[in-house]
Amino acid sequence: MNRESLPALIEAVILTARSPVTSEAISMATDREIGEGEIEEAIVALAASWEEAERGVRIEKAAGGWRCVTPAQFDHYLRTFHGIASRQKLSQAALEVMAIVAHRQPVTLPEINFIRGANSAAVTRTLLDRKLVRLAGRKKVVGKPFLYRTTKEFLLHFGLEKAEDLPDPEDLVEAEVIADA
Amino acid sequence: MEVKPDLAEFVPLGPSVELAFFCGPLDLLLHLIRKNEVSIYDIPILSICDQYNEHIRTMQELDLEVAGEFLWMAAWLLQLKSKMLLPRTATEEGDPREELVERLLAYRRVKELASILHDKDLVRQCIWPAGVIADLDDEDIELDWEEIDLRLLAETYLHVMQRFAAAHPPPIQVLPLKYNVQDKMREIYQQITDDDLMPLTRHLNKRPDPEEVVVLIVATLELVRLGAARAEQRAPFSEIYLRRGRRSLDEASFDPNRREDADES
Repeated sequence: MNRESLPALIEAVILTARSPVTSEAISMATDREIGEGEIEEAIVALAASWEEAERGVRIEKAAGGWRCVTPAQFDHYLRTFHGIASRQKLSQAALEVMAIVAHRQPVTLPEINFIRGANSAAVTRTLLDRKLVRLAGRKKVVGKPFLYRTTKEFLLHFGLEKAEDLPDPEDLVEAEVIADA
Repeated sequence: MEVKPDLAEFVPLGPSVELAFFCGPLDLLLHLIRKNEVSIYDIPILSICDQYNEHIRTMQELDLEVAGEFLWMAAWLLQLKSKMLLPRTATEEGDPREELVERLLAYRRVKELASILHDKDLVRQCIWPAGVIADLDDEDIELDWEEIDLRLLAETYLHVMQRFAAAHPPPIQVLPLKYNVQDKMREIYQQITDDDLMPLTRHLNKRPDPEEVVVLIVATLELVRLGAARAEQRAPFSEIYLRRGRRSLDEASFDPNRREDADES
């Protein structure tokens, strides 16, 4: 395969893929003719060139792969065009549960309730419905509570490659101590 | 939390009380600590406890539902307050506020993270993924292991069971008849032979089971058709009287196998 048409191939794959594409998957599509490393480099270069050109689409890395998204500034027009009035915002409580799950996963509902000091069952249910958290088995303790983890949807929504990319809570604590001292 | 300033304008409250929707007792407590500009490591329990209770009272006055967890925290604060008032004994170790401080710190970390997520959410929700979808059969989409959780499994199971139930409707059950037309014919025939007269409507009204009523009517019609009974009614909707007919029947006539012969004759 012609090396010059590699960026075009990558564009074609990323535009038609349903979920984030890894460079490994593209390499496999070329029957391993082109290595992962070379493809990754090409994607990074492609992403940068799209960014520069101020286009209606960007390439971003999320949930371990690359995908094609629109820049945030066109949201208003896109919503008008698609007839979507408003989005359901995540409540403060939902964001707190989200934060707890993201950092302590796998975590049970009683643990979430304890940290928040408030009942979080309904909120957690909403997050399950929105596919931002998922059930990942049960904890082997009395009552066998369900364990919660974040989903791929969560990574995509918050633009993270992996859950660990969120700031470390310990860093935040240190900042607190310094601020309090 | 954003609604706080608006509500404070519209709801005239005492100067020290602002109305805010707190996510839980820890949230309210953090708010009070920030407002009083005190250190989280050295909380003036006495004044914070009073302010906390004032908030709860206001919530109750405004008919906001005060969840149990707020009251539980109030009890805890009261306990701490009493401990702080008592002179510290030598046997007691550490600060009674220690656990509260730890929980507040843990919660503050969560809040911090939640606010980072909130900021990300604001921007990220404006980002649309490319909508180009190759023409694939939706049924055959391969799911990542990551996307399969217990809930999806349970939903899929219910879905399959629903489809199975739709494809295999329960068989129509035909229950055996509780009453037999021949028996009823014999019963009615016996009665009109003995009494020479039988008020049919009154007789039917006494039967609680609609199935028996149906069988009785069929038996009556059969007797009338065979000429073994006569039905009389003086006026529309009045009582129907059954009398002996021109034909007398013997026991064999009530045999279902014999009746067909009787019809032919």
